[in-house]
Amino acid sequence: MVASAPMDAAEALAELKELSSQIDRAAIVAADGSLLGSTDDVQATERLVRAGLDLVAAALELDAASEEVIRVDVELREGSVFVVREGGKTITATTGPQPTTGLVVYDLRTCLQRIEEPKPATRRNRRKAADAEEAG
Amino acid sequence: MRRLLRLVLLGALAVWVWRRIVGAREPSERASVAYADGSSIVLEESTAGFARLASIARGALQR
Repeated sequence: MVASAPMDAAEALAELKELSSQIDRAAIVAADGSLLGSTDDVQATERLVRAGLDLVAAALELDAASEEVIRVDVELREGSVFVVREGGKTITATTGPQPTTGLVVYDLRTCLQRIEEPKPATRRNRRKAADAEEAG
Repeated sequence: MRRLLRLVLLGALAVWVWRRIVGAREPSERASVAYADGSSIVLEESTAGFARLASIARGALQR
């Protein structure tokens, strides 16, 4: 296995689109619900993210014993919707009809794993930022 | 040679019929859910939970 450098969400999504020809659109949200990145415009992104979160909520209602959903995929005649959750992040993606499910899920999971966590605002980071501001 | 040709044609016909029968039986719409505890469920078109997941997914597929 080749270790790859972490990247931000926009880079990870660009790589995902480049590697997986089956994926049409995708959006990633953090654990707090904030948008990390998307391949769409604002309106379409909102719809995609809302659908992803609604699918997770509906999937949780299907099995009262389970506490966390890690994957939902809905395959319809007109296309498919995938939701994959890992490390607190959620990616929702759409594909055309009859995608290769295993491959799409693998690509989405890899995309989430590539995203670098935003660094917490430590005292050292804050001081660095302040120094940079003063110098600039 | 003619017997061989007839055999090949019969084989091709059998495969075509088989694929039509199996293809007609396969549901074209389905949903699956996996949970963190390792359990998973698959919902076919006719199942109760599928309709709700499908209606949410259709909203996401609209551009």
